[in-house]
Amino acid sequence: MTKQIDLEAEIQRLLTEHDSVAEQGITVHRRENQVVLSGEVESGQRRDEICRQVTSHFPEIEITCDIGITRAQAPSEVEEIS
Amino acid sequence: MIRIAAVGDVHVDKDVVGRYRPALEQLPDRADALLIAGDLTRHGTPEEAKCFATEFGGLAVPVVVVLGNHDHQTDQQQRVTEVLTDAGITVLECSTTVLEIRGHRLGIAGAKGFGGGFAGACASNFGEREMKNFVGTTEDIAARLGEALRSVTCDALVALTHYAPVPETLVGEPLEIYPFLGCYQLGNAIDSAPTALALHGHAHHGSERGRTPGGVPVRNVAHPVIKQAYNVYQLLSESVDAELVPA
Repeated sequence: MTKQIDLEAEIQRLLTEHDSVAEQGITVHRRENQVVLSGEVESGQRRDEICRQVTSHFPEIEITCDIGITRAQAPSEVEEIS
Repeated sequence: MIRIAAVGDVHVDKDVVGRYRPALEQLPDRADALLIAGDLTRHGTPEEAKCFATEFGGLAVPVVVVLGNHDHQTDQQQRVTEVLTDAGITVLECSTTVLEIRGHRLGIAGAKGFGGGFAGACASNFGEREMKNFVGTTEDIAARLGEALRSVTCDALVALTHYAPVPETLVGEPLEIYPFLGCYQLGNAIDSAPTALALHGHAHHGSERGRTPGGVPVRNVAHPVIKQAYNVYQLLSESVDAELVPA
């Protein structure tokens, strides 16, 4: 079993280095007996794949997947740079 | 007046094609050019580059990009650059372009940049060959970005990078990873020229606004930071209008 102290690091590296994920912007937090994944990705498919990979690699860990999809609407304001 | 739309870290692959397009179709009514601050793709494959070109190409305004670290993942950055260039997208790497907009010359100097850290907590060009290579890469890219910026003759000069030139726009990221998110040498390069605005991405959990030590406004336009398809910045203003009416 994964040593608890390495768990966040192992999940973080899995999410970055696994070809089907390649996400560097996911935060991994341990909360009591849970691991909470948070951040934003570009599609629901990517969010689902993250949860699937983490759950299958760490079946003994309770995972909460709190990952959103970044909005992509047009802006309504302009910022003047001076 | 010039209006620039900007975003970074869009990480396009097949599953993203079509997400940005409705907002991009409105872009020519809101801005004169689109600048994209790297991480155009997930793994830097030519196929993903084609998806990016499908999504972000063919607009009625010029599109200028730099590559990010994701665009280097499969070591095919040259092929990625060719795919984008063939689609009419300008790819900068320690190089420049000048766009003629409403009688003004918008100069853009771009580079991916690299890590290294910031004042008080930066890596040094010392010790093992691997460390010297790391910091040497940082120094080389920053020096060439500075040369590019100083070479441009224009009315408004914009620096476009993927890595951050200042730590202020990293606030929200863990302090421990700042050296992997940017370097102070990029900020020095930006300050070596009359830069009006510096745009970068890479720091998904960072903050939007900062300034270089020399006072140049810096904006982190990573998509998860701006939380919309693109931001719009106005340069060379004759009047200020915060409402985004057609330009």
